[in-house]
Amino acid sequence: MTTILAPPGRRVRDNRPDTPRRRRSPLITGAGTLLVILFALLGPLVAPYSPTAQLAAPFQQPDGQFLLGTDVLGRDVASRVLGGGRTIVLTALAGTAAAGAVGMAAGVLAALASRRSGDLLLRCVDALAVLPGLLVVLVLAAGFPGSHAALVAAVALATAPFSTRVLRAAADTVLRSGYVEAALARGDGRWAVLRHDVLPNIAGPALMDTALRLVASLHLSATAGFLGLGPGGAAPDWGRMVSENVPGAALAVTPFLAPALLLVLLSVAVGLLAGRLADRAGRGAA
Amino acid sequence: MNLAAFVGRRLAAATVLLVLLSAVIFAATAVLPGDAVSAVAGVDASAARRAEVRAELGLDRPAAERYADWVAGAVQGDLGRGFVGDRPVTEVLATRLPNSLLLAGLTLAITAPLATLLGLWTGLRGGGADRFVSTAAQTLAAVPEFVIAALLVAVLAVWLEILPRVSVIPLGGTPLDVPHALILPVLTLSAVGLAVATRLLRVSVTDVAASPYCEAARLNGVRGVRLAVRHILPNAAGPAVQALTLTTGALVGSAVVVENVFDYPGIGRELQLAVAARDIPMVQGIATALAGVMLAVLLAGDICARLLGAREGHRR
Repeated sequence: MTTILAPPGRRVRDNRPDTPRRRRSPLITGAGTLLVILFALLGPLVAPYSPTAQLAAPFQQPDGQFLLGTDVLGRDVASRVLGGGRTIVLTALAGTAAAGAVGMAAGVLAALASRRSGDLLLRCVDALAVLPGLLVVLVLAAGFPGSHAALVAAVALATAPFSTRVLRAAADTVLRSGYVEAALARGDGRWAVLRHDVLPNIAGPALMDTALRLVASLHLSATAGFLGLGPGGAAPDWGRMVSENVPGAALAVTPFLAPALLLVLLSVAVGLLAGRLADRAGRGAA
Repeated sequence: MNLAAFVGRRLAAATVLLVLLSAVIFAATAVLPGDAVSAVAGVDASAARRAEVRAELGLDRPAAERYADWVAGAVQGDLGRGFVGDRPVTEVLATRLPNSLLLAGLTLAITAPLATLLGLWTGLRGGGADRFVSTAAQTLAAVPEFVIAALLVAVLAVWLEILPRVSVIPLGGTPLDVPHALILPVLTLSAVGLAVATRLLRVSVTDVAASPYCEAARLNGVRGVRLAVRHILPNAAGPAVQALTLTTGALVGSAVVVENVFDYPGIGRELQLAVAARDIPMVQGIATALAGVMLAVLLAGDICARLLGAREGHRR
């Protein structure tokens, strides 16, 4: 007697949803990201007016003269939008580079050191990670008011602990692999092994980690601008433009909506790129 | 190790960590005492006046001595007085922290059930809906909170005119007196929290769904809601709670920003004002208190995960 199995109805997928079915190339997101970053970096060069000059009455509606209207102090919104992305992007890039360097050094050191001291180093790093990133930024901004270097250092400090953890794990796996053992056994020096065997093999995780850190850094540096931390004054900054112009939301929408939408574009582009890189590396976007 | 010993050990570790962090916070804010003097005495004060203010604030003593004094006071519940307005720091904490906790509690009440539903649904179903929700959560988590807040203001307060733009709380009242002032801050925080929590829960759910234990349950004919609620959720909850507590830091940061966008009278708003005014004792006190809150949440998360984990062992 044959039993006919009912076709399975709705059932849980066997393969884990972590693995995307269609592997979309990170090229498109990468190009989009590059475009937004270039806009932020080169924008100041094509601004029609000085971003700090008071040209007209506050909160004028967009017209032929002022493409996006004027802001709370009567400055040209278009010029400020073009000029306001540079600080955010540069701060985030500098913070990411610093965090990457610190995380790479600490992570590889922790992996190379004995298990005991490596764990101790990681404990210290974890202790630092307890402080919320924004709290680090606020405390350092209170200690070093108006300092741009302090802002970069704060962004780096806030994001470095995670890099250390990721890179230590990556370096640990490589160090325990057969070819490193073979290299060490045939008498290669520690530095040679580090340069030729370990570093090339953790470059992939390091790149992915850097992309994730860039997302966090952009988030922090935009927020720092919004809270008025770092070098203040009249210089344009997308974050600060939002905080300056939201109180006048009922009078004019463009002065805060334009920088807000650009920040959405920037963070989403970088965020999606980081997600794609993480997917390609076979890991969920953590 | 029984639960009491576990809690005791974690409590001791958290206390040590809090002392260390308070030292770090103190050191980071106390290295440039000159600036605090100009904040109080005015930028163009004479040298004599500056020296006077310096002595008045006790800034002429070495930093280590000041830190020892500060810790001695902090243990007795006295965090000093702010430079601006001469308010005791503990009083500010006592009036503002409950407002922030109210915000956090409301956010949690909205986020936890929604994130559980979305996490279970996307983690179990997979496919297009999963990809859509995951990408949306990933996108939302990348956008700074103040931008989300600004967009909500644009739509709800300016365009539709159904909600107030700022949270004006009457003097001496609590935020509960004007519930509609809470809507926009809680909505913003919930959007951010939901994005983070859904992703973490989804990872946890897919891990459990792939386990042999779950496969066995499925082969026994358990499926649908029953599978999700009876078999997956109890096992996924432990790791998910622990992962969630690790994101509290990000949510504390979000709360600081959201309170500033809506002028909500919470501790984050007070911290930002203190930073802007170079009010060093206030910054030290509030930052240490927030670090303490963070450690308490992490501790609670550890204990929760342990309790849930014990249950998990029993179920398996």
